[in-house]
This record gives sequence, structure tokens and C-alpha cells, in this order.
Amino acid sequence: MSEPATPVTGNLLVADDVRKEFGGLIAVNDLEFTIPERSLVSLIGPNGAGKTTFFNMLTGLYRATSGTITFDGQDVTDRPPHAITKLGVGRTFQNIRLFPQMTALENVLVGMHSRLKGGILGSILGLPRVRREEREATEKARELLQFAGLRRVDEELAESLAYGDQRRLEVARALATEPKLLLLDEPTAGMNPQETVTFMDFVDKLREQRQLAILLIEHDMKVVMGISERVTVLDYGEKIAEGTPKEIQTDERVIEAYLGKAATT
Amino acid sequence: MPRRRDRARTSARAYRSELVQRSGLRAAGTYWDRLPGPVRTFAPALALLALAATYPFYLANLPGNFPVINEFPSVRSAVTIIVFTTMAVGLNVVVGYCGLLDLGYVAFYAIGAYTAGWLASGQFQQVKLHFGSVGITHDARGIHISIWLVLMCAAALTAMGGILIGLPTLRLRGDYLAIVTLGFGEIIPQFVRNADSLHGFDLTHGTFGISPIDAPGFGETLHRRVGLPASYQQEFNADRLFFWTALALLLLTIFCCIRLRDSRLGRAWIAIREDETAAGAMGIPLMRTKTWAYAIGAFFGGAAGAYVASFNQGAFPSQFNFNISVFLLCMVILGGMGSIWGVVIAGVILSWLNVEGLANIGTWLNNNVFPSGHNIEVAKYQFGIYGVVIVLMMMFRPQGLIPERRRKRELEEGSHGPLDEPVYELRGGDEPGAGERGEPKGPVPRG
Amino acid sequence: MIGLTQGSVYALVALGYTLVYGILQLINFAHGDVFALTGLFSSTLIVSHFNLDESSGALVILGGLAATFLIAMAFGAVVNATIELVAYRRLRSAPRLAVLITAVGMSFIVQNISLAVFDVNFRSVPPLISDANVFAIGGVHYNWQAFFVILVTFPVLVLLTWLVKNTRQGKAMRATSQDPEASAMMGINVNRTISFTFLLAGGLAGIGAVLFLVEFNIRYDTGFELGLIAFTAAVLGGIGNLSGAVLGAIIIGMIQAFNEGPFLWAPGSDWTRSIVFGILIAILVFRPEGLLGERTPEGA
Repeated sequence: MSEPATPVTGNLLVADDVRKEFGGLIAVNDLEFTIPERSLVSLIGPNGAGKTTFFNMLTGLYRATSGTITFDGQDVTDRPPHAITKLGVGRTFQNIRLFPQMTALENVLVGMHSRLKGGILGSILGLPRVRREEREATEKARELLQFAGLRRVDEELAESLAYGDQRRLEVARALATEPKLLLLDEPTAGMNPQETVTFMDFVDKLREQRQLAILLIEHDMKVVMGISERVTVLDYGEKIAEGTPKEIQTDERVIEAYLGKAATT
Repeated sequence: MPRRRDRARTSARAYRSELVQRSGLRAAGTYWDRLPGPVRTFAPALALLALAATYPFYLANLPGNFPVINEFPSVRSAVTIIVFTTMAVGLNVVVGYCGLLDLGYVAFYAIGAYTAGWLASGQFQQVKLHFGSVGITHDARGIHISIWLVLMCAAALTAMGGILIGLPTLRLRGDYLAIVTLGFGEIIPQFVRNADSLHGFDLTHGTFGISPIDAPGFGETLHRRVGLPASYQQEFNADRLFFWTALALLLLTIFCCIRLRDSRLGRAWIAIREDETAAGAMGIPLMRTKTWAYAIGAFFGGAAGAYVASFNQGAFPSQFNFNISVFLLCMVILGGMGSIWGVVIAGVILSWLNVEGLANIGTWLNNNVFPSGHNIEVAKYQFGIYGVVIVLMMMFRPQGLIPERRRKRELEEGSHGPLDEPVYELRGGDEPGAGERGEPKGPVPRG
Repeated sequence: MIGLTQGSVYALVALGYTLVYGILQLINFAHGDVFALTGLFSSTLIVSHFNLDESSGALVILGGLAATFLIAMAFGAVVNATIELVAYRRLRSAPRLAVLITAVGMSFIVQNISLAVFDVNFRSVPPLISDANVFAIGGVHYNWQAFFVILVTFPVLVLLTWLVKNTRQGKAMRATSQDPEASAMMGINVNRTISFTFLLAGGLAGIGAVLFLVEFNIRYDTGFELGLIAFTAAVLGGIGNLSGAVLGAIIIGMIQAFNEGPFLWAPGSDWTRSIVFGILIAILVFRPEGLLGERTPEGA
């Protein structure tokens, strides 16, 4: 079932005047940011522009110094990470943070934690309800792994997987949280061109089948321009441009930020 | 540096697999692999269980002059060994599964033991409450509740204590968590040592401790009808009864831990241990989950503490000190953090050393190895020995004797443990740069 | 006033904890036991080798004590640095938990070395410094023993401050504690700097041990409690902060003096440990950066 080409029914995420200061350093400077439902938005900018800091604020890892973040109509500015995940925000990390000593299957199962209900007593007693839930969860996890092309390595430890597999496992794990918004932090970093293309197809498939919004931090411009509906450019914690990929490619401020003033003169 | 170690490891692996092939272990291994799955899983455990349960029967037939260790532990000593092993399994939940360095587990032992003291002795002379007590005349003053109930109460109370301790403690970072748990491990024993006059009320009878504590039993009715022992202490072979009950307690603890480890909660614990920040980002409520680890660990520690108090017929403050916490930690590390069977085996070995093993070995050493007249009391230095064990294990085999995961091809590949070098340098959650790429620590695995 | 004396010894040990924590983010559990071992060693020096006792001449005593200070400093420094070399260095890249556990193990090893060499008995030195009063104002009196402690501690602290602020090694220490990688890139030999830190910490503990002996006796396990009290002092003042360690130590010394003192409502020495730990827990929960520390965000 493919999505109609006209998304944007409402804004899934609204960041209003969000600011993050570390001591004297302003990492994110009164940023306004929206993510429409089921859209694919890219966030780009030079290193240190504040992209991952912003991600961390969206997911509750950092507390915003000021401003508000609203997700799906709820104020999540001060919520802890697990609460935000439960509301429907899933993420991957810039430097892969899988659980190294757990298998691929277990990693995905952990992602399902907030969607399962099995408790202590039920687990110890082996109640049928809990057993059934575990069986179904394992099934679902296997499906996710299949979707991510990892079915054959589901019993391998995460730390022993190939790099590309690890990246996709992180996505599979994030998908297990049943997100409405998926945050991908430089998912193609370290990938060769072939792996990147595979990954882009994967993201396409994701959007078609899963009806979620995706916020992407990327440095690889082919990826950004190839799949984004909208691109936002950050520099020094501020938004310097926002628009379609075509618009961004020709925006002077963007070129200046990346290549320096000399490039535009 | 890492490359040298890797090269050494690869050649060690190759050497080991050579040995394995030559020794015919491979042939044995294939035969083993052909047995049905459930048999392979349960057979070793059942065999061990049978060996353990029948111990009192064949103990007399074991050689009394075994080299080095001299004699095997009596049934009575075995009870203490099993109880400490149970505590180690409980500690394993906190340290091994969840990765929380608890240096104050002795506090749970103390709470459990003193709960038994409160609920099954003549401590509170002000009241007279009997409920299922055995072996006590009915006009004895004090609270005398059936030990089976007391065990449950002690476990529950200790679990609550664990939750209370956890509230301020569990939000702290690893090293501070360790020190604070150590603190509680000191405060509670010091409290029971001094709480004999709280505004005049004698809560713990100070340095004398609470004794005697009632024994477990099944009461006169069951004794007459089914033949179950009325009160353990009155039985001829009381030690055996205590032994089997302790074994049952250990098995129950192991069972619960296995079930938990393979459950949603167990996965959450291990995820927290592996990477707390990522675990939170995947929807695991950190404080709540850690508190559960603490509570479960406390639960079993308290039950074991109460049981051994009943066995020792008393709870004495001298039994509780920091050394015990480290002693239990040593068992978990030696056995393998997160590995139940490893911890059980290490627990049995270390507890045995503590109860009589070191003394026996010491005697043997003094008689046979050290020059005459040069008597070294080995048992005196036991905590130094445990310290050495801890340091050596951390330096050379942090995954323990029996690592947590049994991987396929384990004989060929080196095993890894939760304390191995992380693939990437991971930064903490709320530092500037969290989630930013650090430098890869070793060769980045490529497809 | 007694609090100040106690506090001085705590300060010297607390500085050791804070120096090591600052540079390695490691709580060197064995530090207190190094203190005890050095103290036991020093007592043997004073009693058996220098043969000092209350009948020795004043100059002989001062000379002997001075020599003891120097030797104790060296001894403590070497023991502490050896521990780092043998145990912690290998685990430099291991997860923090591993090193912490190792530190606990080392603590027991050092304690048992003390036990093996010096056995279970308390060791002390004869009263070499008179306990006559330096001054007595009203009910408050202050004797020479206590004054001696301050007399020694103060210049040591001054020297330490100078060392950390002005010497190359001191700057290397500070740089490494802030960013080991950058320091290495700036040409600082990180390994040597860390060893130097441990030497320094051990040396301070050595001085503290001799001072401690002036008034108290030492046993193989004295280091455990004293180490924890000193560590609490370091945390109270702000772990990683040198002046904080001293400040925290003085405060804890005062609290302990009050607790064990003559006041009617003082709970008594039975409760000292609990009170100190209570303070530690309270600080870590409510103000983990301590009195003088900087607010750094703690991981969840």
C-alpha cells in the first residue's frame, strides 16, 4: 500500500524557540522547527551546528534550556527519554549504540519494551498470557529483522555484525518502539556508495510501508537531496535556510556556511 | 596495544581448536550435539541437582583424607555454603544482570536476619503472638510466627528496604552508586549494633543480637498425619532437614532468576547494563527498572538472611560487615557476572573456602609445604585472597569462569563478557557531545 | 579545635582521593589502606629503628620525626604508584565498573598485607609530643599534639598548592584531568602524569599517617573507616577540587568532634560512621558537586 504524494495533514512535532546552552556555549539558539506528519525532513549543517544536540533534546536526553517541544499534541519538553519513546519517537544514534552482548533479536525485543506488558510475577510464574505475549513479540521482532534484511543473523551478537548490518539493526530496533516519528542520526556514515544506495532504498520502503515521519541528520548530500521532502540547514545552532532540496542547493547562505564566504564571491 | 593482544588471541584460539580436535573432544561433542535439545539443557543441571540433594547420604563414603583439602564439608557447613550461594545469586541480579555495583548487599542479609529475629523469637517480650510457631511452648512471650511465613515476610520487608535504599541511590552514576550502597551496607549493621535503646525501646538487643530464633517445622498435626518433622531443631537429623530446605531455597532462587532473565524485565536489565542511555531511548524506564533489580536482589538476600538466622538460632551484629558484601561480590565476579551457573559454582567454592576450606588448605600447606615451625594461618588472610581473586579476574578474565553467554563454537572463539572494550567510545547521556561520534576503539567491522 | 586536628589528617587523605579522582575519575578504594600500611610502617620506624620515646631529647625527636615524615612520604608514594602500575593501568580502557571493582580488590589486598606484616594488634608510638596545653582559654584548651598536626599540615598544603599551580607537573596534572587526549596531543606524557598523581597522593597519605600516629593508634583495618570518612570529606567539598577537599575535611572533623565530644546530646562515637555516611548520601543525592564543585550534569 503506497502513500499518496501529498502528506502534511498536521504537524507531528513542533519545537518552539528551543534553546540549549552548555555553560557559556549556545549549542541551539532559539530554534523553531516543525515536522509534518508522515514527512521526510532532513537536517543538515556543518559539524558542530547543533544537529545532534537538537536530536537529543527531542528525545529527552538533554533538557532544553528554554523553549517548548510538542509532540503529537503533548508537551514533551521536560519528559524523560523513555516517556517520549513511549509517545512514539524512535531514534538511532550517530555512533551506533546497540547492546553489544545481546543478539540482534534481543536488541529488537528491547525496543519493544514499552509496547509489551509482561511483569515480574507473570514472568516468574510463566503465565500463559505472558508466554503468548513473548511468542508474539518474538514473531514480530523476526518480521522486523526480515524487513531490515537481517533475518539470517538474528541470533548473532550485535557486536559481531557487519557495520552495515549494525546500522540497519539500529533502525529495526527503533522501529520496534512503534514510532510515529523516527529520528535517524547520520545513518549512512561510514558506508560505501553501494551500502548507501541500499540504505536509501530501505528508507523508501520504510516510508511506504510504515506511515511514519522521518527526521534525518545527514552529511551525504546525495542521500539528503535524493529522498528528502524538506531540508533544514543549521549553522551555529540557528536555522539559516529551509526548503525543498532544490531550493537549498542554490541558497547562498547555505553554500557560504559549508564552503565559506570565498565560495560565493 | 590492542593488535598485539588480538594476534595473541587468534593464535591461542587456533592452538585451542587444535587441541580440541586431537583430544577427541570433538567426537564427544558431536555425540552430545545429537541428543535432543531438552536433554542437553536439563541433563547437566539435573545431574548436579541429584549430586547435591543426595550429598548427606554419600558424604560418609567420601574419603576423609583427601589431598590438600583434607575432608569434605559436613552437612551443617553445607547449609551455610548453600545460603551464601543463594545470596550470591541474588547479588548477581543487581550486579550481573543490571550492572549496578552494589557494595552493600550485607544490608539485605542483615534486614532479613533481624526480621526473623523480630518475628520468631522472644525479643519482644511486651507481646505474646503465636502463629504457626513450632517447638515453642504456647505461653512463651514474644512474637513467634511460623518460619515459612517469616521467610516470606523477611523477603518482602527486605525488598521494601531495597526500594527505599534505591530511591536516593539508583539515580547516581556507577562509582557513586557503589559508595552509597557501601554506606548503607555500613549504616544498617551499625544501626542494629546500637539500637538497643531507642528512647528506651530495645529493637535489636545491641551487640548481643537476637537469640534464640525459632526453628522451621511443620507442626504437630502434620507430623502426626504425614510424618513431616514438627520442628527441625527437635529432629535427630536436623542438619539434613536444614540442608534440604536450604537447597530448595537455592533452587527456587535460581528458578526465579532464570525466568526473569529471559523475560521482558531481564532484557531491560541487561540493556541497561550494556548501554543505559540507549536503553532509556528505547523506552525502558531507568529508575523503575533498576529499582526492580534492587528489590529482587534484596528479596532473595532477605529470605536467605532470615533462613540462616533461623538455622544459626540467632542474628548477631558481628555477622554483618563490609567484608561480606565484597565476599559475595567476589563470587559473582569469579563465577561470571550475569551467569547463574557460574555464580553458583563460584559461590559454592568460595563459601566452602570461607567456612572450612581455607583452614584445611592452610593445615595441609603448613604440614607439607612450608618449612616446619613456619605456621601460616591461611584462613586469616582470606579477604586478601578474595581481593587477589577479584583483581586477577578483572585483569585477565572479566567475563568470569563460566561466561554469561554460551556461544556456538565457544571452544574455538574466545568468549567475551560485558566488561569487554566497547566497539566505539561511547559518551554519556548529558555531556556535550552525547551521541557524537567518538573514535572507534578497534578495527571497525565491515561487511 | 579537636575537629581541626582530625580534619587536618582527613584533609591530607582526602586530597589523595580527590587528586586521583580528578585525573582518572576513579575512587581509589585502596587509598585508605595505603594510609594504614604507611602508618604501621612508620610506627615501626619510630619505635624500633629510631628508638624514640618520651625520654628522647627534643632535638632527637624532631629529627627523628622529620626523617619519618620523609620516609613515610616516600613509602606511601611508592606503594600508591605501584598499585596504579600493577592494577589500574592495564584497565585504563576498560569500563569504569571494572576498575572500580579492581580498586575494591586492591583495597583488600593492601589491608591483608598490613595484616600479614603487622598482625592484628594496634600499633602506636609513645607520646613524643607533649600534651601540655599551648593555650587554654576558658574551657577550651589546645594541646601541643594537636597544634603539631596543624603546624605540619599547613605548610604541606601551601607546598601542594604551589606545586599544582606553578610547576610543570602540576599543570600537566590539571590538563590531564580535564582532557587526557588533548593533553597527550600537547606532548604531556599522560602515563607519567598519572603516576605522578598517585605518587603525590600516596605521599600526602604518608604524612597524614605519621600525624595520625601522634595522637592515635593504627591497625591494619584503620584505613577502611578513615578512608571512607576522608572520601566523604572530598565529596563534601567537591570531588576533584583541592580546596574543597580541605574544606570538607575540616567540616567533617568538626562534626566528628562534636559527635564524639562531651556534649550531652552528642550521639557518641558508635554513630560516627552512620552520620558520616548519612552526610555522604545526602550530598550525593542533593548536591553531588559538593560545596565548591562545579555543577556537572549527572547521567540519568
